[in-house]
Amino acid sequence: MSIQEVRVVNKPDLPDTVGEALLYDIRHTLGITDITGVRTAKVYRFEGIDEVQAGYMADRLLAEKLFQRYSINRPLLEGGVVVEVAYKPGVMNPEAASLIKSAADLGIAGLKAADSSREYAFYGPGAVPANIEVILKKLLVNETVEMVVKERPGTLMIEGRPGRTEVIPIRGMSDRELMDLSRDKLFLNLEEMRAIKDYFTALGRDPTDCEVETLAQTWSEHCGHKTFKASLEVNGKEKPPLLKRLQEATRKASHPLVLSAFVDNSGVMAFYDGWAICGKVETHNSPSAIEPYGGAMTGSGGVFRDVMGTGLGARVIASTDMFCFAPPWTDQSEVPPGCLHPKYLLRKVVAGVRDYGNRMGIPTNNGSVHFHRDFRAKPTVIVGAYGILPESACQKGKPEPGDLAVVMGGRTGRDGIHGATFSSGEMTHRTVDVNASAVQIGNAIEEKRMSDALLEASREGLVRAVTDCGAGGFGSALGEMGSETGVLVWLEKAPLKYQGLSPWEIWLSESQERMVLAVRPDHWLRLAEICRMYNVEAVVLGTFTNDRMLRVTYEGETVCLLDMEFLHHGLPGRKLTASWIPPEDREAVPGPPGDWAETYCRVMAHPDVCSKEPIVRMYDHGVQGTNALPPLGGAAGDAPNDAVVLAPLYGKRCGVVISHGLNPVLNKINPYYGSLWAAAEAAANAVAVGADPADICLIDNFIWPFPDSESLGALDMAVDACVDFVGATGMPFISGKDSLSSTYRGADGTVIKIPPVLCVSAFGRVRDVGRTVTADFKKAGTLIVLVGKRNTREMAGSVYCRLAGAEGTNLPRLDLKALNTVFRSVHNAIAGGKVLACHDISEGGLAAALAEMCFGGEVGAAVDLDAGDVPEEFLFNETAGTFLVEIEDGDLTPGLFDGVPHRIIGRTVAGKTISVSRGGEALFKVDVDKLRDAWKRPMKEVFGP
Amino acid sequence: MKPKVCVLRTDGTNCDLETFYAFEKAGAECRMVHVNQLRSGGEKLADYQILALPGGFSYGDDVHSGKILAVELTSFLRDSLQEFVDRGRPVLGICNGFQVLVRTGLLPGRKLGDISCTLTNNDSGRFECRWVTLKVEESPCIFTRGLSGRVLNIQAAHGEGKFYTGKEQMDSLESAGQVVFRYAGPDGRPTMEYPFNPNGSLNAVAGICDRTGLVLGLMPHPERFVDVYQHPNWRRGGFEEPHGLPVFENAVKYCLEM
Repeated sequence: MSIQEVRVVNKPDLPDTVGEALLYDIRHTLGITDITGVRTAKVYRFEGIDEVQAGYMADRLLAEKLFQRYSINRPLLEGGVVVEVAYKPGVMNPEAASLIKSAADLGIAGLKAADSSREYAFYGPGAVPANIEVILKKLLVNETVEMVVKERPGTLMIEGRPGRTEVIPIRGMSDRELMDLSRDKLFLNLEEMRAIKDYFTALGRDPTDCEVETLAQTWSEHCGHKTFKASLEVNGKEKPPLLKRLQEATRKASHPLVLSAFVDNSGVMAFYDGWAICGKVETHNSPSAIEPYGGAMTGSGGVFRDVMGTGLGARVIASTDMFCFAPPWTDQSEVPPGCLHPKYLLRKVVAGVRDYGNRMGIPTNNGSVHFHRDFRAKPTVIVGAYGILPESACQKGKPEPGDLAVVMGGRTGRDGIHGATFSSGEMTHRTVDVNASAVQIGNAIEEKRMSDALLEASREGLVRAVTDCGAGGFGSALGEMGSETGVLVWLEKAPLKYQGLSPWEIWLSESQERMVLAVRPDHWLRLAEICRMYNVEAVVLGTFTNDRMLRVTYEGETVCLLDMEFLHHGLPGRKLTASWIPPEDREAVPGPPGDWAETYCRVMAHPDVCSKEPIVRMYDHGVQGTNALPPLGGAAGDAPNDAVVLAPLYGKRCGVVISHGLNPVLNKINPYYGSLWAAAEAAANAVAVGADPADICLIDNFIWPFPDSESLGALDMAVDACVDFVGATGMPFISGKDSLSSTYRGADGTVIKIPPVLCVSAFGRVRDVGRTVTADFKKAGTLIVLVGKRNTREMAGSVYCRLAGAEGTNLPRLDLKALNTVFRSVHNAIAGGKVLACHDISEGGLAAALAEMCFGGEVGAAVDLDAGDVPEEFLFNETAGTFLVEIEDGDLTPGLFDGVPHRIIGRTVAGKTISVSRGGEALFKVDVDKLRDAWKRPMKEVFGP
Repeated sequence: MKPKVCVLRTDGTNCDLETFYAFEKAGAECRMVHVNQLRSGGEKLADYQILALPGGFSYGDDVHSGKILAVELTSFLRDSLQEFVDRGRPVLGICNGFQVLVRTGLLPGRKLGDISCTLTNNDSGRFECRWVTLKVEESPCIFTRGLSGRVLNIQAAHGEGKFYTGKEQMDSLESAGQVVFRYAGPDGRPTMEYPFNPNGSLNAVAGICDRTGLVLGLMPHPERFVDVYQHPNWRRGGFEEPHGLPVFENAVKYCLEM
């Protein structure tokens, strides 16, 4: 039977918001002004039903006659140039399953397949082929997953026969042939390829494709963290591996709240009343660079599953996002071949995080966006997730021989094949073409119901062990889970999205929304029942054994047989040399501005400082009803807070604090002090809202260029900074991840090293959310106190210097000892109820912090500098770990900030003006609303009014 | 005895925990019920005094927000749902739950299958999460007894919240007093101005009830403000009582008095 097409449009007198949003972009992003209108039609296709049935579906489900009309098997958009954009065959459209379900609910029989897409009609003199091609290319179609529909499809079914398992004649390969095999596919080096060859030579047989792929996944940088585990020689001196140093620092800190560090899918710390909280932060740079929407979605979905798969199952309570892009107004000619424009990337990445988090019902409520020209070749996309679980079930589970290996959740398709190896490779001008299959569209609802089912199974004690299927798919999840026991897998039992997958594809597919569980055989029926109730598919895929072998079969044929010992410990250790030669010392002395008020506005409008409100609002940051201190507050609801505080146990006042810090600009100048800054900023953000520095744990994410000697030297210093920070503050790192592929190589030999990023995330607990403070000034006439140690001459890397074009090496060099006492002191003041408002100083300096506090309080401020202060340094220095604190006049009693540097810098005032004087002599005045407008403008330009 | 609340869940429901807590705090006894449990007969609506449809993205909001669940309810639970309503038991739909109620026809005409109003894409074309000011109108709604004339601060979070209907239907809703909540400006007066009216709703409608006042649907989330500290500005003073809690308390009170 042929395909039935239903088209649905809004009635002509009603708005078409999809069309209007596109028209806005056509005008504002592309600058095409002579297209006067865009209308859209939703297109639904059904296979296996007749026209009458399609009409019934249209009436009951697809079109609401109150505001829409529909047509069956004929065009509906009138006039204009009409183009249809659809997902490519094989990219699963999440809507298809809902269409099939609803058809069944409506009693429609015979429906075999369904799909949906959208038609666009362009009107006006500008609706000519050349313009439409630009619109399709820049705004509508990402060729990785989408296409323009040229003709009515003959079928919606994907047919195919599974390929045979190939034997790779590795034993006879020369070095050159080994590397040919590795390139673009395995991403292993010669030594590693030789280790595989030797292993099979000793076994006296050649490997299957499945075996080679499994080894490549497990040994990938993404999964194996080869650089972090390598022994190092830095500037001629032997040093222990990076990972070992981080873990050793955590061990030494011996923090009483740490329950699980570096061993599970996320790090776990104690909460209150028998509960634990956990956190995980991941990068998703490579997929986001080529398909930002799908890439960001799978990034969020993956990190949520990491939290879900912690201990014996956790509930996700928060999501965070930290991005680095080139400025949105970067000229297209500056964007390297094979890369997408930063404005497109930013908008699509935000949309991906939004759609996944919102649909899962996870509040995204902490994050930041940073801009630097050098991210034009590859963005940095970091997503985090936090969860809560019973302390009694917070340790990583271990399967027992005889346990069943169960897979639950979504079906397996050809998605994301080679995701792990791909993300470990560098981005080149070929990346988009060769690795397109590494991205897919996430299905948040699939993951949500899986989470519901998993939590119920976990509550009932049915889970012996659980982990998510991420990079490397079943291969990685089962290979890891069964590493101590052994596992036998029956691949043909995996539910597939469509036929035709070869065994190795099923084994390594990175289809999202799947989790693997170890389940006692007598628990299986109950687990299956729970899954059925939640509409979650679950099957037994294998069984854990006691032979320490990874044995994978397909229809009775063994396609992979590897010794767990070789798989997990056969990877040749790397010995790497590193050196970092500090650039010659040079002091950035930016000098005073010509016009104070104008410069202040420019600092506020700098993309690293400006308001990110439009992004925050697109995220449902309030779902779960747990926000006790949300990302935005203040009288007009637009003032940013430093961290978020959640009260995840309903009716109880104990809270989780979440914050982060990163600064790619400082990291580029000096990896040690830049990294210290990131860690200090993360902790300071948490302390600023009231967290006890003794109750904070940290998560590291190193996003680094490919580790050549210089980059590795920088990485070594960043790790040293982390270790020193732990030593000084006692705050341990309990989870972390590295992504060492931030290098772009163009066809013409261009090499772009993306700025190194250390993102430090902090999370902790507070006993009473009532003892936390926001950043908005609470009233006029109060004291403004600067707390913390800083050397204001250390201006390099600051927004002020960057605007002035002053470069140097004099970045803030934090005094760790002082920092720790400042944290304690600020915390004590907040806990003592003396602090009305507190804001930590970061990008944009004291001036930006002061302005944001005024925005929230609808007040102004009068600030007086000492005669000896250099005003531009005083106002715009960006030393992390310093705070502006609002205190009631008379409350600044001796003892409040004893022993830490602090001084009263001024008062809040009733009028909405910030006035600055030095030694009593007026310097300048600026209107608070003028600053606010400047601060709000940039992101409004990117995301619309 | 505490009234029993059925908190209905399905694929993509995600405001269930906070809705559960809001009703429990208001004095009810809640139970999470999956729509499959109603379909299989393992749970019966008749065993409950209140039905709550929480927010979220039921079935991904595919096709239209709340549509797939609305079709499921009208296909499989038509009789038990109609009976529940006809027996005078309160029904509350929040956000996605409101979308479902409108798409089943329970709102505003309490007649399954009779769809006369809709909730469509926000005028801004975007999903938005922000605190809004709601004016409580004079209405027969049992959830807002004693609140009419008051101005509440509640968080809204949706992409498809624009209330729309034909002129006749709108006039009929107005004359019957079925508009329960309207978006208001800082002065407390109903407004069409963005962002105070976050979606461009006709007549600034944020929530409506049926003629009996027993079925209520609204886009903003009262369940997110049942403890004072849930408001972003409780530290600035002026929030002695959480504004969302009375909605749940009224429902519980109604059941206890029935």
